[in-house]
Amino acid sequence: MDRISKNKKGKMSNESFINISMFVVLLVAFALASIFIPRYFSVPIVLNLLANNWYIIILGIGVTFLLITGHFDMSVGGVIAMSGAITAYLCQTQQEGFSELATGLGMSYGLSVALALLACMAIGAINAFFIAKLKVASIIVTLGTMSVARGIAKVITKGAQRSAGLPDEFGVIGNVSLIGPIKIAVVIAFVLVLIALFIEKKTVFGRKTYYIGANRAAAWLSGIKVGRHITTLYLLSSLLAGITGILLASESRAAVSMRGEGFEFSALVVTLLGGTSVDGGYRGGRPDPRRRRFGGHQHAVAA
Amino acid sequence: MKDNVLEIKNLVKDFPGVRAVNDVSFNIKKNTVHCLVGENGAGKSTLIKILTGAFTRTSGKILLDGKEDVAKNPKDANEKGISTLFQELNVVDQLTVEENLTLGIEDTKLGFLLKTGKIRKISEVLKNIDPSINPKERVGRLSVAQKQIIEIAKAVASDADIIIMDEPTAALTESEIERLFKIIKKLREQNVTVIYISHRLDEIFELGDYVTVMRDGRHIDTKPLSEVKDRMELIKMMIGKTVMESYVPCESICEDVLLDVRKVSNHKLKDVSFNVRKGEIVGFYGLVGAGKTELARAIFGADKYSGSIEFNGAMLGNAPDKTIDAGIAFVPEERRTQGLFTLLTIKQNISAMNMEKVSRGGVINSAREKDVAREYIEKLDIKTDTMDKETALLSGGNQQKVVFSKCLFADASLLILDEPTRGIDVGAKAEIYQIIRDLAKEGKSIIFFSSELPEILNSCDRIFLLYEGELRAEMINGECIDSQEIIHICTGGVC
Repeated sequence: MDRISKNKKGKMSNESFINISMFVVLLVAFALASIFIPRYFSVPIVLNLLANNWYIIILGIGVTFLLITGHFDMSVGGVIAMSGAITAYLCQTQQEGFSELATGLGMSYGLSVALALLACMAIGAINAFFIAKLKVASIIVTLGTMSVARGIAKVITKGAQRSAGLPDEFGVIGNVSLIGPIKIAVVIAFVLVLIALFIEKKTVFGRKTYYIGANRAAAWLSGIKVGRHITTLYLLSSLLAGITGILLASESRAAVSMRGEGFEFSALVVTLLGGTSVDGGYRGGRPDPRRRRFGGHQHAVAA
Repeated sequence: MKDNVLEIKNLVKDFPGVRAVNDVSFNIKKNTVHCLVGENGAGKSTLIKILTGAFTRTSGKILLDGKEDVAKNPKDANEKGISTLFQELNVVDQLTVEENLTLGIEDTKLGFLLKTGKIRKISEVLKNIDPSINPKERVGRLSVAQKQIIEIAKAVASDADIIIMDEPTAALTESEIERLFKIIKKLREQNVTVIYISHRLDEIFELGDYVTVMRDGRHIDTKPLSEVKDRMELIKMMIGKTVMESYVPCESICEDVLLDVRKVSNHKLKDVSFNVRKGEIVGFYGLVGAGKTELARAIFGADKYSGSIEFNGAMLGNAPDKTIDAGIAFVPEERRTQGLFTLLTIKQNISAMNMEKVSRGGVINSAREKDVAREYIEKLDIKTDTMDKETALLSGGNQQKVVFSKCLFADASLLILDEPTRGIDVGAKAEIYQIIRDLAKEGKSIIFFSSELPEILNSCDRIFLLYEGELRAEMINGECIDSQEIIHICTGGVC
């Protein structure tokens, strides 16, 4: 009631209040860091902040959609490592005499990426099967598949990394530079956020996500195929994590077994700072990718 | 007057728009089994909740042992000697019998549990009531009846003077009921007063010393059961002079069968068969637990069933998305938890069941969505200042109209309504009845499930009576309908 009456008086709505306060927190955190950390306030660092959070932002998209429906995805960090490792292994040259970590299957880079992304979506499918079909708690299932994916990455990289014998294309996509330190991945993240924003606000798919989050039983009784929708979201989240993994591996021209460790928590923090409620749906405001961006920056500033 | 353990004087309880308990006065004598009967919505539960402190009364007096000493909250009621057995059991399945018995009243020292006197005392009580229950057993492994006995033991051990039982036999089998009755009779000998609420009239006659009848929030009569002649007399008191004053036979029913339900059974239903014609309003009446909701959900495909349902000449799929596609919409019993997206706006709720109609290629056409919302807000007269209001902020009646709008927008030719007027005020109820009648005039068919006989009698063309998951009778409205006969059948009597 409170909120309605405020709206009537032309005061600020909850949504814009949250948006503005998020921005203020970001500015304050940045100001504090600038004052207390020597050389924090400098052009390279600011550019760096803008440039180097793209992976959290991409992950945050999938995690946000899931969180709106009340589900977690903790497997994204492991999937990042797995997608990099599989891509590297598939496209490494097939030559006798090289060390084992430098020898792969010699496929083309494009095919390797496609197969790696398929493998990532298989992890998403496992998540969906246990969560949507068998109704196991999502945090338990995805913590499990987090280890599965990480384990696969470790086996492929023998707990170390694959960086020798990679084709030249491997290091391209993660290193195309636009302005200074801002790379193509930042643009990809930006475009994905725009697409996510569009899906969330303007499409039937986005709306169904909200219906499920707001009231799963009512959504089902309204004819929404809840299980299928959640499955799609898990596949999407794993796919985005897979893309992130390929970009990160490309950036450093190496598939590292411990890549992306802890990223699932960063993605979750960013999503929560973005205003998505853990209960599914939202309370007190709509989750908004713009805020998620602020969240990403806040998180980075804090770090 | 000293033998009255409880005296209720001019008790009134108002809810927004409804007077649930209206000037009720009666006394309950010590060491008796006092039965409370009345239709759903007669005010029994509200009365009980006031006695146990869960609700505060609007006005009136309650005297406990001659003193005005009203329970402020359920815990306070317990301390004053009033224990309640609710329909839903309050036991923790993961704990043992012993742990459950002392739940909330544990002896502790420095935060550690002590296994001392209290446990022994309560276990002793339990042994007296039912020696077959092992105190070390996990409660999850016990039957519903045994769980109930644990609750009774807890009530007795807390030295309750009054034990209130709300439909205690709803989940029990015949032999378990017999055992419960023995326990209740034993309690009476041990100076306990039992207030017993049940829809099963036979139980009342077997058990009760006194009976109080309530109707529409009013107290009708309190008398010794020995002075009640038979079930019929009791039923007459319960329903009063309910007649179908406003039923107008509908001319638009055609002979085409739209829905044909054949031998549908599941965990609750037993071989239910009936059909619904185009433009017809078919009513299902039965008391709580008769299987109304289960039948509604089975037809809609929300619950599994065996048997077959044909709709428009084709077999009906068993999932809500399929039945909606076929042309059926469902207004569920629990509006807030099953019908409405309370966090979303009126506009977003109305389009939920038929997103295809407000979108193209998966993209929502917001202008179209707004038009639809405006249309239904006007058509069903939803009282709001904006279509962007969260539905949580609407009154019950307006919320229900939003749910109706959602179903109507789904272009259904058959509407299943499960208790569509529950918890909404009289004015909104009348509007809902009008909507239902208008829909039938438009040629839509309606299945109307309700536990309020008057609304069934004034809306439906054909009435089916449910008891314990079985169809017991079919009646054509307008032809010598006898509401006493209906209640007789729905409380387990034979035709």
